[in-house]
Amino acid sequence: MASTAKKQGVGSVIWEYLTTVDHKKIAILYLIAGGFFFVVGGIEAMMIRIQLAVPNNDFLSAGLFNEMITMHGTTMIFLAAMPLLFAFMNATVPLQIGARDVAFPFLNALGVWLFIFGGIFLNLSWFLGGAPDAGWTSYASLSIASAGHGIDFYALGLQISGAGTLISGINFVTTIINMRAPGMTYMRMPLMTWTTLVASVLIVFAFPPLTIGLFLLIFDRMFGSSFFLVETGGNTIIWEHLFWIFGHPEVYILILPAFGIFSEIFATFARKRLFGYSAMVFATIIIGFFGFMVWAHHMFTVGLGPTANAIFALATMAIAVPTGIKIFNWIATVWGGSIEFTTPMLYALAFIPSFTMGGVTGVMQAAAPADYQYHDSYFIVAHFHYVIVGGVVFGLLAGLHYYWPLMFGTMLSEKLGKITFVIFVIGFHMTFLIQHFLGLWGMPRRVFTYLDGQGYNTANLISSIGALMMAIAVIILVINIIMTIAKNQKVGRDPWGDGRTLEWSLPLPVPYYNFAQIPLVRGLDAYWIEKKANNGRMMPSESLEDFHMPNNSFIPFVMSFGLFVAGFGALYFASGKDWAIDAVSGLPVHPWAPWVLGLGLAITIGAMITRSVKDDLGYYVTKEEVLRDLEEEERRAK
Amino acid sequence: MAEIKQEPMSKKKLDYVRRERTREMRQQIISFSLMIFLTFVAFGLVAMDVSPQFVIPIVIGMAFIQVILQFYYFMHMKDKGHEFAKLFIMTGIFFALSFVVTFIYIVWIGKPI
Repeated sequence: MASTAKKQGVGSVIWEYLTTVDHKKIAILYLIAGGFFFVVGGIEAMMIRIQLAVPNNDFLSAGLFNEMITMHGTTMIFLAAMPLLFAFMNATVPLQIGARDVAFPFLNALGVWLFIFGGIFLNLSWFLGGAPDAGWTSYASLSIASAGHGIDFYALGLQISGAGTLISGINFVTTIINMRAPGMTYMRMPLMTWTTLVASVLIVFAFPPLTIGLFLLIFDRMFGSSFFLVETGGNTIIWEHLFWIFGHPEVYILILPAFGIFSEIFATFARKRLFGYSAMVFATIIIGFFGFMVWAHHMFTVGLGPTANAIFALATMAIAVPTGIKIFNWIATVWGGSIEFTTPMLYALAFIPSFTMGGVTGVMQAAAPADYQYHDSYFIVAHFHYVIVGGVVFGLLAGLHYYWPLMFGTMLSEKLGKITFVIFVIGFHMTFLIQHFLGLWGMPRRVFTYLDGQGYNTANLISSIGALMMAIAVIILVINIIMTIAKNQKVGRDPWGDGRTLEWSLPLPVPYYNFAQIPLVRGLDAYWIEKKANNGRMMPSESLEDFHMPNNSFIPFVMSFGLFVAGFGALYFASGKDWAIDAVSGLPVHPWAPWVLGLGLAITIGAMITRSVKDDLGYYVTKEEVLRDLEEEERRAK
Repeated sequence: MAEIKQEPMSKKKLDYVRRERTREMRQQIISFSLMIFLTFVAFGLVAMDVSPQFVIPIVIGMAFIQVILQFYYFMHMKDKGHEFAKLFIMTGIFFALSFVVTFIYIVWIGKPI
């Protein structure tokens, strides 16, 4: 299997990645695809900022601007931030808990391919008659009226990639509950594993409402139902509730793994045990729980009434408490530590003030009466970019530098990394700090231009220059990555020198079976304990024996491809039909649509039947092979 | 492709497993007959034309008991090692209920509260 072929041709490497069920390779797939969509979303952001740099600009038309903001938000949340977090979750969690793979390797591969095909489907809208243009929230009153197929691409693309996310979420919950090494009790799990567990639980509970909402939208737009059509007895508010029941937990799904990455980085580079570990764990759980009780704070101005608003306002403010606990614990972790200012640590240190600023404006908006003033202004844009860029994106960049050696066996350049950091952080604050004031001065969000002489000119220009700086920082990061890959200077075990958790105890590159022998965990920060109280090697919990591994499979790719094909059939099904909504009934008829829908579903179901009927029992890694690997590693170490 | 490696069970272990399975079977049959009985009672109440205000809460109550039996005896929630599943189901029920209550009050009744 993978290890037997040392030098592989390009074709066999591609085939290996198309069929892989190894969590480390799936992490790389997530990283590549998520990174690609991050760049696409970033280009869309640059378009938006160029358009808004000067008043009365006509760089983008109003319609195109709407498509840009919609696709920027959708791409960044669903296709960039979440997959990139999945990349780090896949790369670290099985190693941190001492497992040889995730619980369902096949489903892991299915998840990544569903996400990739869903993302491609969504972005094909640019070339096939216009992107979605109803905002990333796609409120039904707008999205039902949106002419053309843009919203159909949104609904189907998110449905496909959302199924992948749900599958991955279930997989991680099962993995973390069932596959921990001996001695790895719940209260010894590293924070990255804990936040992954809670975020996966949130995925399991939050994605079904989105799936339902999207299905209702798909039926309304493509199959002639009327869930959201007010004139035939529907109710558009239902979409808003369903979307935000999903949407609010979604932002915690994004931020919690980022919290996990930062917790690891703080402890590693302050060379101290994470302060208040149990408080951190309980704060994570409480944030996850409250995340479901606050969705209507996005809908204060809908007119739910003062009692409903008050309940949701209170619940929202309550979330500041566990988040505050986390912030103080991180500060206390750094306090008195022997700090090493590596690139990941710099991002982590910059994250604390940046994220806190976003959190404080969040509490401001939680006060429902005040929110009537902030609502739909640039203040909101500033707020959520402060939490998502200042929290999640900083976390992703920190994680990229921190986990790069674990994933690729090389180190990103610290010098270029620090240059990236400085430019990115300055650019970030320049872009978004001023937008708070733009909002308070009255500039509404989602407008494609503004008039001269309203006092918005300078602030918008500053904001656009900041965005340009962030783009330059990302370009330097890409150069850094290319240079690192070209140089290919391999590093050995524990490259940061201060690794605390189990993943750093492994040789680099990590063998495809992860652990020759499943280690025995003797406490929190398992590897650190062995370094301090033992000879710096993990003690095995089992004798060296043959062990079982899953076979590679091409079926996940085929299943996802089938849904991708079916998506086009569903998309064009309602075109030109007289029962369809006004948005698509005027378009030309596509008589092939039902056949394509059937063909796609047949491919998927055929793949599922193949999977069920054909026994795939995996294979055994032999003791001899593992011994050979261990000996070779010993030789290299000398 | 490799065969799954399995060791034959010892006599003692086999006896133990048999005993456990018999006990399990007995419990399942008892709860199954209880559920059938409850279903008959429910049908009977409806057939006897008792006033709906009396029948509806009783039928819902019996349905609830059946769900509990189903979860505990047929879906193994009573067994060891199912604590997480239990926690998940409870949390899911809690979230679902709060969503349904919200929908009833602020979407379908439609009056702001």
